[in-house]
Amino acid sequence: MSALVLTHVTKRYGTRLVLDDISLELARGARLGLIGPAASGKSVLLKLVAGLEQPDAGTITVLGDTITRPHVREVDLGELRKRIGMLFQSYALFDFLDVAGNVAFPLEQRGGIPAAEIAERVAARLRAVGLAGSERKLVGELSGGMKKRTGIARATVADAELVLYDEPTAGLDPVTTQKIYDLLAADQQRTGASVLAVSSDVAALAELVDEIAFLYRGKIVYRGPARSIRDAPDPLVRQFVRGELDGPLTEAIG
Amino acid sequence: MSGPVERVGAAALDRLRAARDLWRLYVSTIAGLGRALARRRDHAGPPRGELGRQMFHIGNRSLGFVIVTLGFIGMVVTFEACLQLSRVTGDYSTVGGQMIRLVISDFGPTLTAMMLATRVGAGIAAELGSMKVTEQIDALRMSGVLPVDYLIVPRFIASVLMTVVLTVIGTLVMYGAGGLTAWRSFAVNPSLYFDISLVRPRHVAIGVLKAVAFGAAIPIVAGFCGLRARGSSEGVGWATTAAVVGSSFAVIALDFVISAAALWVTGGDL
Amino acid sequence: MTGLGAAALRLCRELGGMLVLAGSVLRALVPPRLDRRELAKNLHKMGNRSVPIVVLTAFFAGALMMLQSGPFVKKLGATSLAGWGAGYAVLREIGPILIALMFSGRVGANTTAELATMTVTEQLDGLRALAIDPIRYLIVPRVLSMIAMLAVLTVIGDAVAIGGAAVVGRLMLDIEWSTLFHSFADNLEPADFLHGVWKSLAFGGAIAIASCYFGVSVRGGTVGVGRAVNAAVVASAVSILVLDFFVTYVSAP
Repeated sequence: MSALVLTHVTKRYGTRLVLDDISLELARGARLGLIGPAASGKSVLLKLVAGLEQPDAGTITVLGDTITRPHVREVDLGELRKRIGMLFQSYALFDFLDVAGNVAFPLEQRGGIPAAEIAERVAARLRAVGLAGSERKLVGELSGGMKKRTGIARATVADAELVLYDEPTAGLDPVTTQKIYDLLAADQQRTGASVLAVSSDVAALAELVDEIAFLYRGKIVYRGPARSIRDAPDPLVRQFVRGELDGPLTEAIG
Repeated sequence: MSGPVERVGAAALDRLRAARDLWRLYVSTIAGLGRALARRRDHAGPPRGELGRQMFHIGNRSLGFVIVTLGFIGMVVTFEACLQLSRVTGDYSTVGGQMIRLVISDFGPTLTAMMLATRVGAGIAAELGSMKVTEQIDALRMSGVLPVDYLIVPRFIASVLMTVVLTVIGTLVMYGAGGLTAWRSFAVNPSLYFDISLVRPRHVAIGVLKAVAFGAAIPIVAGFCGLRARGSSEGVGWATTAAVVGSSFAVIALDFVISAAALWVTGGDL
Repeated sequence: MTGLGAAALRLCRELGGMLVLAGSVLRALVPPRLDRRELAKNLHKMGNRSVPIVVLTAFFAGALMMLQSGPFVKKLGATSLAGWGAGYAVLREIGPILIALMFSGRVGANTTAELATMTVTEQLDGLRALAIDPIRYLIVPRVLSMIAMLAVLTVIGDAVAIGGAAVVGRLMLDIEWSTLFHSFADNLEPADFLHGVWKSLAFGGAIAIASCYFGVSVRGGTVGVGRAVNAAVVASAVSILVLDFFVTYVSAP
């Protein structure tokens, strides 16, 4: 069974076509990276998969559950979302809770988990991301890297079957970036979760995922193994990944 | 898509869609109330004590504001009424009796709620608006939490309860300040002014009904504006603005509807 | 106790800040060198934006006052006085106050949001770097526009409110149009109307100063803008009702 199936998904904002007839499949336990120029619809794609927004056309099946059926209600999506972990681009940490409260939140909202077990799992997760000792800090007191790591701990604390990462390392220094990718890779090894990650840092992303897809003008124009992405047959992708100034991408942008 | 007719049509459609979404938020808040009552203690939901915190938040932050504003308007309304009477009859004996009737069934609840629409409405919209633009609302949804149950329902209950309490306080302050003005500026005997024999249970019932309706409308309209915020700091600013205007207008419109209905039910004998 | 003291201090600081701002606006007016374009733009924007909400509010205000005074007048059998109760309350008090409250929510809060966003994104510093005085360029046109627009809107609103009162009187209380017309015409004096407009000038000034002050003194990024708008509308509401009392008291015969 697939972790994720998108068929002919289209999304518009007003008259702007953001995703144009996208079809995509992700096997259980597989890891896919998504790259593309700014505003190419990467984040929108993640939000559609999480059911946070509805596509204008097409179907999306997540972990065997079709979330695009007519009249789907927020209440019904709740159960599915508890099996998905998501790291938001701007952290989206709850500013009314401290670090431990943020990480404990998904577990508390599941209901039926004893408080002692929650505390234990939160402590273990914070140790894993290197935030032991910062449990009682408020979100406002954290640095960008600490916020990102808190977000990762929150996204993975409930052992999600599918994790969505939106720019896990944007705005971080190279050392922290490397640390975070090591952390994500270790996590995936441990839980065997399926991963869909959006990132602009192609080199670091290539170490985390097996395959990389290139989203361009609302379409997936290329999908291939992550290891050899620098030598992809598609000249568009090659230019983007290598950051070359001359090529079809520059001509298309004008 | 730029002709004037199309633009008016698009604007009208937007309004209709917004009205529909507002109605849906209202329905799901009521459903959320039901879910809150049916929820088991150990199960998910807003943190314990959230209702008390919201009530304190709404009540405490608005008490001084309501007392000051309602006090001043009580003085002005009585002053104007006496001034007018001095022009016509010069008989001030009915001022207190008419005043209490009006204050209980209309001015008290409406003006208190107008003040709360400003204070509480703007507060709710600013708070939820910043949560929306920083994606915290989406993060809540990803934890399987309904934002309505978690954020709107506690504010809804707290607002209804505190609006009733503050209306009682505001009404008393307004009536009292009026008595003071009548006594100081027009030498109306306080025992004559504070004569409540004209008050009937129906006046109190209308006042309470209005307070409940206003208290229910403010968090729904303000929450709706906050949850619709887009963009960044500017979006939150717009949402706050829209919440103030929207909830103030909701108060005035509901006031009219309830007053008209009361007139109709009592057959004009208010 | 400390909380109370801190609150009192904050109140003093904010009141002082608004007074200082009002002073600099007046000083900037002394040789009246105005940016005409900015003034015209603001007049247009503020008027346009608030006409619908003011018209609706005024209609309901008039209707409500007739609903409150009508039954009483009818019970006394003095339908010729119907316009007296409703019209007097609307022109002198309820009309100007409700319209000013709505105006502060619509235009005042908008101005705060706009100026606060500009402050947060350092656009004000950008103006200063170009040797342009933000008070003269941004604040003065907004203050003048708000005062002028609120007075104009109150005049429009008064007419609509009387209309609303008449509609309710006719449809819900069964009073003849002609009776209504005469009761308005005979009992309302120009002084009542002017009293309301005179008040609206004061309200406009208070709203303008409060909303500009909280806009330019914003702190704390994204969250700060929402908080500034909140503070501005609260300060506007308090100053409207407090000013209302003093203006009424001072201008009493």
